[in-house]
This record gives sequence, C-alpha cells and structure tokens, in this order.
Amino acid sequence: MLHELKNHRGAQGYLRLTGVPAEGLEHGCDSGIDLAYLQDQIPDLRDLSKSSQDLANDTEDLLALIELPQFHSPEDSGVSGVDPRIRSQLAELQLRPDRVLHFGQDEGLPRQDTLEFSRLEAWSCQLQGRVWDPNSLSSFWFELVNGAYGDVYRAKGLMNLPDGRAFFCNWMVSQSGSQFLPLEQLAPPDGRPNRISALVVQGKALDSNGIRSTIADCLLTDAVLELHQAPQRERQSQPTPAN
Amino acid sequence: MERWALASGLKGDLEIYEQIQRDLKRQRGVETFFVLGDLIGPGQNCGDLLNRLRNPLRGDLIPQCIYGWWEDQLLAETGFRGDRKAEALRLNQGEDVVEALLKAVDSSHRQWLASLQFGFIELDCGLIHGSSADVSDELTPESSPLILLDRLTRLDVNRLFTARCGKQFRLELTGGEIDSHVKDLEGQHDQQQVVPKRTIIGIGAGTAYTLYDPGSDHISFLTAGSTSVSKRLGFG
Amino acid sequence: MHHAVISCLHANLAAFEAVLEDIDRQGIERITCLGDLVGYGPQPNEVVELIRHRAIPTCQGCWDEDIIDGLNACECSYPSQLAERRGHRAHQWTDEQLSQDNKDFLATLPTSLRRGRQLFVHGSPNSQHEYLLPDMDAFAALERVETAGADTLFCGHTHQPYVRELRDGSIRVRVQSSDSSQSAEQELKLPVRRIVNAGSVGEPRHGSTKATYVIHDEDNGSVEIKEVSYDVERTCRAIVDAGLPEVFAWRLSHGFEYAERAEDASHVCER
Repeated sequence: MLHELKNHRGAQGYLRLTGVPAEGLEHGCDSGIDLAYLQDQIPDLRDLSKSSQDLANDTEDLLALIELPQFHSPEDSGVSGVDPRIRSQLAELQLRPDRVLHFGQDEGLPRQDTLEFSRLEAWSCQLQGRVWDPNSLSSFWFELVNGAYGDVYRAKGLMNLPDGRAFFCNWMVSQSGSQFLPLEQLAPPDGRPNRISALVVQGKALDSNGIRSTIADCLLTDAVLELHQAPQRERQSQPTPAN
Repeated sequence: MERWALASGLKGDLEIYEQIQRDLKRQRGVETFFVLGDLIGPGQNCGDLLNRLRNPLRGDLIPQCIYGWWEDQLLAETGFRGDRKAEALRLNQGEDVVEALLKAVDSSHRQWLASLQFGFIELDCGLIHGSSADVSDELTPESSPLILLDRLTRLDVNRLFTARCGKQFRLELTGGEIDSHVKDLEGQHDQQQVVPKRTIIGIGAGTAYTLYDPGSDHISFLTAGSTSVSKRLGFG
Repeated sequence: MHHAVISCLHANLAAFEAVLEDIDRQGIERITCLGDLVGYGPQPNEVVELIRHRAIPTCQGCWDEDIIDGLNACECSYPSQLAERRGHRAHQWTDEQLSQDNKDFLATLPTSLRRGRQLFVHGSPNSQHEYLLPDMDAFAALERVETAGADTLFCGHTHQPYVRELRDGSIRVRVQSSDSSQSAEQELKLPVRRIVNAGSVGEPRHGSTKATYVIHDEDNGSVEIKEVSYDVERTCRAIVDAGLPEVFAWRLSHGFEYAERAEDASHVCER
C-alpha cells in the first residue's frame, strides 16, 4: 500500500475517518502516528483532514488513502461492507472510493490482522520531546507485548532515540514479531526533538500505572541526552574534507 | 606509513628524555611518540621532565603519555584512588621511598598526572604500562603464555605493548588449540578453539626504547645515545 | 561423597526451601553457597537467617557486597537505564529491610572458599562482578581456573548452570629478545581444568521458572545439574505484598531475570 502511494506520480494524500464506538469496545487513539510515519516516508503527502473541504473538487491526479476504523469484519465486500455511519462521513465529503479493502478479506492487506474481541481498552500517551534509552526501550517493548502490563492486542508508537533517529514500533497479537521501522528524517542534536511521538496500546486489563512508571524509567533526562548529543554536534561541526 | 616511538620508565630523568628526542629526530618517519608511564620516580626531582612533557619545546615530538606504576602509587598516596594508599610501594620499598616519591613530584603536577589515561588503543594495538588486567601486571617473555593470551583477549587487540617489566622483547603466539566440552540443561556440545596469532611486545625502559611500524609490523629495539642507532636489532 | 552447590538465592525463600528439601531428601549433608543471598526478591532476612541456621559455608556475592558497602556496582554493569533504576530500587528496598545483624553476617562472608583443589567463588576469581559464561573464550576461562590454583572452579552469577571441561590445550610461542638475535620457539601443554556453574536458586534464567543447583560427586568427579519446581506464585505474592515493583513478579513467573545481564558480559569494572 505504501509502495503504491510512493510510486504514484500525482499528488498523494491520507485521511483517517473517525470510528464508531461499539458495545464494550474502545477505539485506540491514533495520536497521529500513522500520518507522521507516512509523511516521513512520503514528504509531499497531504494531510487531507486539514483540506477535506476541497477534497471532492480536487481534480488533480490525487491518490488518497482513506483509513476507516471498524471493529467487525463486514458481511459484504467493497463499499457496502463499510459501516453506514462511516459511509455517511464519506458522503458528506462527497467521496466515492475507487477501491475498498477490508482486513481479513482482501488481498493487499495482511490477512491475520483481524481479531474477535468482546472487550477492548485503549490507552495512549503523548511522548513528544521524549527520548528513550535504546536498551530500555527494547526491554519495555518486550515486557509490554508479552503481557507484563495486561493483555495487549495491539501496540504502536513513534519513539525517539538519542542518536536523532525515530522508530515506528508496531505489534499485534496475531503477528509473530514486532515491526521496528526507522524514519527517514533525523532530528538534529540540539535538545529535544519536536516531531510527533506517541504510544498507543489496545488490550484488556491494562496496567496503565505500570506502563507509565516503566516509561518514566526509560526516558532520558536533559543531562543524559546532552551527553549523547554533544559528540554528535562535534562530529557535525568538523569540516568535511574537500575533494 | 608513519612509525611510532614508545618509551617508558624515565622516572624524572630529563636527560634521557632529551636523548630520545634527539634520536627520534634522526629517525625517518617517526611521527607519534608514546610514553607508557613511569614518568616519575623517587630517585630525583621530576619537575623538569614533567614541565617538558606538559609543555614540549618547539621541535619536540609531542609525547602522548599514560600513567604507570609509579604514578599510580603517587596518586593513591595523595587521595586520587579512593581509599587506596601506596601500599605496594610501602610494602616493597619502605616508608622512606614513599616519602622520597612525594618529595620528587611537586603537588602542582598531581592533577595533570591524575588526568592521564590507563592506556591507548591504536589500530589493533593496545598500549599499556602493565597489562589490561592491572597497571602493576608484569608481563615478561617468561610469563605463562596462558596469561599473555588472556591479557590480549581482554583488550581484544592483536598486539599488546607493555612497559612494566622494563625488558625489550617480542613474543608471538604462533599456534595451539584447546577443546571445550560443555554440558548444560539443553545437552552437551564440544567446541575447539585455536590460538589466535597475536603478539606481546616489551618496549623497554629508560634509555631502551622501541620503534614500531604498523604498516609492516616491523619492530626495532633501540638504546638512546648509542652510537649505532640503526644497527640495533630489528624484527620484521 | 555427594556435595551440593547452590548460588544466587536472591531473597526467594520458597525457591530456597524447595532446593534444601530436594538436597535433604537425597541425604546430602555437605552444601556450599556461592553468594547473592539477597537482591530483587522479597525475603532477604528469611533467606539469610536460613543460611545461618543451616550453617552453610557461603562466599559473598556482588549483591551481598553492595548491601554492606553501599551501592558499588558500576553503572556499566547494567544493560539499560531501566535495569539500573530497577536495580537501585531493589537495592534501596533490601537495604531498608535487612536487619543490622544480617548485614553484619554478610560482611563476614569471604570472597572465595577453597577445599583442596576446588575453588568456590561468586563471579570469577578476579571479581564478584565478572561473568564466566559457557561460551567465554576457552583460553581465558582456563586462565581463570589455572591462575587461581584450582582444578575445578565453582561459580554462579550468570544464573545459567553448566559444566565446562577444558582439555587437550596447548599454546606455541616464539620469543625474540633485544639481547639475542635468536628466536626460540616453545610449546606449553595446558592442564585439564573444569568450571562448574551452579545456576540460580532464586532467579533462574534458563527459559523456565525452576530453581537450579548442582550436585558434585566427589568420588568420581561427576556433576549433575538439578532443576527443582517451587511455589513461584508464593514468591510473586510476596513481591507484590512487599511493595517491590510488580513487574519483578511478572518477570519471575515467566522465567526472566529481574534485570537482564549486562550486554558486554566480559566487562570487568576498573573501579
């Protein structure tokens, strides 16, 4: 899907519509993680939530990826499988999808990304400006997805590391391992990075205090961050040899 | 390729230091000068040598110094090593020598001595006064090869330059192996390991110093002020 | 005669009691303990008192040392900031809980015990903090045993039990001195030596929750690695009741160490 967007010659856009709550099920707060990751991969990507008014009138060769959150696998395929309440959002925007793909049904999306739930809690936390000790992040992630803080079905986050990199961390109970994708953009070694950073968790009996206190033990103080950044600045300020 | 000069055990003797500097000027391609500790000693006032090491004269090859056994004893006695005192010195040579050492080094030099490092890693070479185990570790050609190999392994270097024993020597590990049989909860397995090709070099002390060419791995053992500088023994 | 060697109890009373019961059932009277009686676990006083009550010869572990001397482990021995903060929290809790009498006892423990050509240490003969892992460089491993003047070295600290025999070793060297143009070649035949790691009673790290220890048959030299089930839930409840981080209970009940081992296990602190 990312590949298709990347290779599209015209403009590219992304829009996430609001999901509809169901009995006992809470939607995860996206916290802008997906948009931030896509914008890193496709720097010209348009955030259509800001310009959705003109969306229908846009006659340019715009390829828009629209995400429709939904709890249950639809009975019908295509656009008729979409929850009527979400369909009305599309209608309001005068959008008619060219293609509708459902998780668990259509090729092109991972097959095992659907689960049946009767209860689902969501927990999220903004981490903007926060930087992780890398080994601590890996311990925390291991504990999180293996159930140390309740049954986690889904976890995703954008996390900053002290070397200026950020990683899109992604895990779902149906997949065997976690996905760690580095972002293209590097943050400069001048204090705290200001890109979007957040963690979103969905699951059951989540121990939010436990998650919070472990995260606090993993995040770097200003002084430690400076210890990492000072040598990076030094390296950058060294003149590159002329060819 | 540039060559390195390595000296140690000057023990406050500016004359020897100047003699080595004069020698080095006559050697071609020597661009780096390492002084592997024992800059100081109890035998004479070390002020002139320390001033010269800290403030090289124009034309001096700039010395890169680490601390040695005598510096470690002085720093211990003067509170730079936690609770530790110069016990090894006191035990072996007596209170008088401890006093002499304190007198030989003006307190204004202590901070600089305390700033010196334990060793250098250059390319695949470790440069240390004693060994990777301890500054007092005396490695000689007679040391057990098992200990020599251990000291190389600890630093993960192919060549270890040591000064503590004061001798000039080159000891190469040329072969050998060992079998290891491990039993754990998962079962049993065997493993064979061969001796890596590694070398320990004793660089000498005082007037005896060493030149090393990292490009060709050629070593020359020299004596400062000897008339036939280039005739001393060399190994390729 | 059979001889049981235990290590790394880490204030886990249920595990210690189960292992003692297993040893007693076999009629083994000689027990040696390789330290780390306390640290992370919820019953430091109970475990130290049981060691004292049974008069088990014990050498000092790195946790025992740190509790007496104040936090001494160098920062680099923790693999992450998270592990370090948790370690410090466990240290502080243990320090508050442990009675002065039990601290005084820990202070009397020797760093090594020797019985003939058998040497007992917590980490290695060099340091209570050094890990002797089963895949450590074989020559370096042999050096530890040989320099300590032992045939068999018993150690713990890694929480992974193993028996390693080092044999048929040799090293060839060529020596050139400045005062001789001749170079002499020599070969050193290395002796057969053995390292026995007793694993961990209170904080196993071998993929299961079972406590481990070893039994040494002093007549024929054989060593058996023993695994003992114990009431993990009891210790987990005690962890939570004591106000220690709940994640310790989760880690213990899943067979993970409280804090992972330092990444560079061969690191020896120069402090």
